[in-house]
Amino acid sequence: MRAHPSALARGLTLAAGLVLALAACSSGGGGGGSGSGTSAGLTSCTTKGKADTCNSGATKAGGTFTYVLEKNIQQWNVQDANGNTFENGEALGVVLPQVFVPQPDLTVALNTDLVTSATQTGTGPQTIVYKINPKASWNDGTPITADDFVYYWRTNDGKDCPPPPASDATQTKGCLPQSTAGYDRVKSVTGSDGGKTVTVVMAKPFSDWKSLFGAGYPLYPAHVAEKLSGAKTGDAAHMTAAQMTEGWQYFQKTPPTKYATAGPYKMQQWVDNDHATYVPDPKWWGAHKPSLQRLIFKVITDATQEPIALQNNEVQGIYPQPEVDLVKQVKDIPNVTYTIGNGLNWEHFDLNLHNPVIGKYKALRQAMFTAISIKDIVSKTVGQFDPKVNHLGNHNFVPGQAGYQDVVTATGQGSGDLAKAKKYLTDARFTGVGTALKTPDGKTVGPFNCRYTTGNQIRQSECQILQSNLASLGIKVTIKPIGAADLGTVLVGHQYDIIVFAWVASPFPSSNAQQNWVTGGGGNYGGYSDKTVDKLVAQAVGETDQTKAAALLNQADKIMTDDAYVLPLYQKPTFLAVQTRFVNVRDNATNVGPPYNTAEWGLKK
Amino acid sequence: MLAYTVRRILVSVPVLIASTFIVFLVVVNSGDPVANFATSRQPAPSKAAVQAFARHIHADQPVLERYWNWITGVLHGDFGPSVQTNLNIGHDLFTRFRVTVTLVAAAMLIALILSVLFGAFSAIRQYTAADYSITFVGFLFLAMPVFWFAVLLKQAGIWINEKTGSQFLGTIGEKSPYLNVDTPWNEFVDRIGHLALPTITLALVSFASWTRYTRASMLEVLNSDYVRLARAKGLRRGRVITRHALRTALIPLATVTALDVASILGGAVVTETIFQWHGMGEMLVQAASTVDVYRLMAWLLLSAVVVIVFNLLADLLYAVLDPRIRYD
Amino acid sequence: MTDIEAPGAAGTQVPFTDGEFTVGQRSQTQLVLRRFLRHRAAVISLVVFLLIALWAFVGPYFWHYSYRKFTPDNSQSPSWKHPFGTDSSGYDAYAQVMRGTQTSLKIAVMIALGSTLVGAVWGAMAGFYRGVVDAVMMRIADLVLTLPLLAIALVISSRSGGSWYWIALVIAGLTWAYVARVVRSSVLSLREKEFVEAARALGSSDARIIFRHLLPNALGPIIVNATVLVATGILTETALSFLGFGVQPPDTSLGLLVAQAQTAVDTRPWLFYIPGAFIIAIALTVNFIGDGLRDAFDPRQQRVRQ
Repeated sequence: MRAHPSALARGLTLAAGLVLALAACSSGGGGGGSGSGTSAGLTSCTTKGKADTCNSGATKAGGTFTYVLEKNIQQWNVQDANGNTFENGEALGVVLPQVFVPQPDLTVALNTDLVTSATQTGTGPQTIVYKINPKASWNDGTPITADDFVYYWRTNDGKDCPPPPASDATQTKGCLPQSTAGYDRVKSVTGSDGGKTVTVVMAKPFSDWKSLFGAGYPLYPAHVAEKLSGAKTGDAAHMTAAQMTEGWQYFQKTPPTKYATAGPYKMQQWVDNDHATYVPDPKWWGAHKPSLQRLIFKVITDATQEPIALQNNEVQGIYPQPEVDLVKQVKDIPNVTYTIGNGLNWEHFDLNLHNPVIGKYKALRQAMFTAISIKDIVSKTVGQFDPKVNHLGNHNFVPGQAGYQDVVTATGQGSGDLAKAKKYLTDARFTGVGTALKTPDGKTVGPFNCRYTTGNQIRQSECQILQSNLASLGIKVTIKPIGAADLGTVLVGHQYDIIVFAWVASPFPSSNAQQNWVTGGGGNYGGYSDKTVDKLVAQAVGETDQTKAAALLNQADKIMTDDAYVLPLYQKPTFLAVQTRFVNVRDNATNVGPPYNTAEWGLKK
Repeated sequence: MLAYTVRRILVSVPVLIASTFIVFLVVVNSGDPVANFATSRQPAPSKAAVQAFARHIHADQPVLERYWNWITGVLHGDFGPSVQTNLNIGHDLFTRFRVTVTLVAAAMLIALILSVLFGAFSAIRQYTAADYSITFVGFLFLAMPVFWFAVLLKQAGIWINEKTGSQFLGTIGEKSPYLNVDTPWNEFVDRIGHLALPTITLALVSFASWTRYTRASMLEVLNSDYVRLARAKGLRRGRVITRHALRTALIPLATVTALDVASILGGAVVTETIFQWHGMGEMLVQAASTVDVYRLMAWLLLSAVVVIVFNLLADLLYAVLDPRIRYD
Repeated sequence: MTDIEAPGAAGTQVPFTDGEFTVGQRSQTQLVLRRFLRHRAAVISLVVFLLIALWAFVGPYFWHYSYRKFTPDNSQSPSWKHPFGTDSSGYDAYAQVMRGTQTSLKIAVMIALGSTLVGAVWGAMAGFYRGVVDAVMMRIADLVLTLPLLAIALVISSRSGGSWYWIALVIAGLTWAYVARVVRSSVLSLREKEFVEAARALGSSDARIIFRHLLPNALGPIIVNATVLVATGILTETALSFLGFGVQPPDTSLGLLVAQAQTAVDTRPWLFYIPGAFIIAIALTVNFIGDGLRDAFDPRQQRVRQ
């Protein structure tokens, strides 16, 4: 099977001879490492309760770690609607501080290097007090103070720094935060105690207050913005919209090599389209001093090239979307440890309620979802490299999160139970069940299209299984891939009947729910609308008690599940592979990614 | 000849305008970057952000107006806004052109030298085992999908690295992000190591086709009357081949090379993707798949100019080298 | 995509006068055929090519799996049941390779036919009329040459769902200009020949001169070119599929199969090597056939043995 055509083999031998001569003078790094220590590497990461501590170990000084970014970074303001990309969050999280940091176990942890405490001191009105670490300062010597919080709040609330006016041709003269959620409810942010205590008073209560000033969206240095826009230093509270815009734009255009940062590393160099080089920041005051000599984030935009680069020791850690061959390929690389985790991304089928037939008949939707066999879908796709993958039973939480409750399984949706599915239809007086389905008033049901983004083989299989499942009900399904550049058009223009894609759950589920399930929400492409759900979600967003908020969301979810609008399939697996000579690198499925703890990464002692 | 050249250049201008206009229409109608932006982020961007994005990339203007503004902008050195809102298209274009030229220059030079040697040899030794093997290997490379070959080459590269215990051959990018010992020599070696695999990939295809050309035209010349005459006059075979035959035989190769190089300069798309070189090819793929119309136009402008210039060059070369063709 | 025939490579002159030297009347077709049959590699290639085509088009009727039906066997290596193994969804690779070969062949042949027909007529007219007509026609050809295949293919693939004939049309629509260039250069020198002068003197119409005298005499390079286009057509489709702009599932093509199996080289080699081998086999045989045709049409390249 592996035999090359002889001519090719000869050509290669020839090339090899040439290379040998040159290789002698190459400067190459150290090969795959000799790690045979006792650490189980990443393999223990999926054990319950180990997510935050697996692959731990003492480190020794030195070493270069190259981690892969899958997209280039064009825009450096991660708070901006446009700059809000996963890669940007990963790259900036290393050098900019944030209050709560999402952890591998999907909870959030207080970043005690930045603040020694963050507590909700009152609920009427909701008040949060942050005590900034007295040692915390930007690496130009300016201390981190309440002013940085004020600047963050005012640029992100959607009011103090409004979107660019229509008259602005370039559409750059204004702030367009990725989300104003929470900040638009803040009444005041005040500093005391020399700016080292920050008191935030909310006008309206906000359930996900821990997402403020962090959770993947770090603080930018206010004094830098103040200086360049000509505002009074330390007085972000009185910056004008124009001044804030100037800062906002500066942070969009400027990589953090050029301004004061406050992280364990500083970014020494950014080569566009290629890599970022970080070196330990001597000004770092935090508990963990980085032991690496150098940290590099290398841009590789084609995931299939990553395992080869890892094998060739050009990179030391990769975090691609897993797929059968990729996993096997990595398994065969010596001295590399990997983990397949359960991510926050979850795959789902959506029905388009704008379709007159699908929108009108709840029984039809329920029957369709019941006929779909998630077990088959898993076994033909992700189950082949991740046997742990399970049916997901909630639209807001994933297993492992405190609020998770299976509300889907009991309804039979996703079970592939054809008898039950058919019963829904006959009960609703559909005709031609199992042959050529017709509505009670005699209209043919379908053919429906099932749409997925082209090139995604897993989703192609998912559509095909759905096709055969629904055929047993008498519904014809055509499979129609979505062009590489067309997903947006298809979603926004409702150009689908059934579509399969993925959502990202988050440690802060109520904001997500408001986006995706509430009438007119930004992510509610299929046009779901239910007054009770709207009300329950709104309550959850304003509920300061997390447990109660989760209960409200689950209550709403039950109604939505019964309406059969979105069928959750499974949590998409994540895949992290790292050379065994490095420790403390862990999978983190949240929006901060594995680089959530780069200060601890290092060569195994 | 000069008049002809000037006329051709003048005629090229409407060609360019028509070409850019067609592509502009095609791309603008191929997808909606605004909708893509609205759905590509989570949380979904606010209505204001989506609107601002649309206005920023001029998606709110009528197509003809956009095209007109684009043309006038280009004349002032402004290539228009990219879908990647911070990207300076002009800067991007020239950086990438440099990358592609580096890659292509090395590969083409190797391919040209090898193909002339092998092609001529093959023709001189027609119907020998050597000729048959060269023909077969040439056809084999011509028949291989580039990325199929590149995937195998990468595997081979890693295998070589492992066997030699070095890290000489690079599989991604132009150079390593850092060098342990940063001397000019090490940097040179590092760059060569990264050039090796993609260069071989690119060179092989051109090598295969150019070898065929050299062989064919060499045969034609060797069978021509004047070569026979030269031999009949008693000139030595070696001298006839190098001084008379080869020179004439290279005429068609020159024109073919000019055309091929032009098309490859537009981007060795597959090779660049597999070896992660951020050149013109990647620019085209990115622009096409994100409906980044101004970026694609910039790509088109540069590659069309290259194609037009090289086509003209090919025609001129042909006229200069072959007196049977007249341009009047 | 780099090996499109260019002016001058294949004979600019045609064995028009051969008849004078042969005993008994042999049509040019017979001559060409005889010379072709003498080219052993070409004949073997032709047989192999026809066998592959036969297998791809007829085989599916006799094979118990369909290219678009799941089997319960996921990711299996080749066996009696699945001679080419299965992929992760349980598709039978044998059925898929058959279907892929079929699609790829259809695309390649359509590209060759379409672009040759258009290109030959276009080039002949440009070369025959010269002057303004030539300038305008060739500038249009230049225009076509500047259009980026990728951008156009993207649009088509997002509009058409990646059906094979759209892809073939797009590629053909952008390659005919190459053919036009080749044919034009042949015609440019043919039109100076005596037999054209003679035809004109006899009062033949322009159309008659083009279709009865010029094109038949340029047939050699045209046919050779067409075979080359079959080979490049397959490879172009493969490259497009690799970038995701080619044939779309549930249909399949050889290019798509290999592109999907790029990561499987080491782990499930049957998925990578088998369709790849078919691409190579097709392109290789077609190239040899083209080589044989070239020799057959242009005997001057066959050197008298010394």
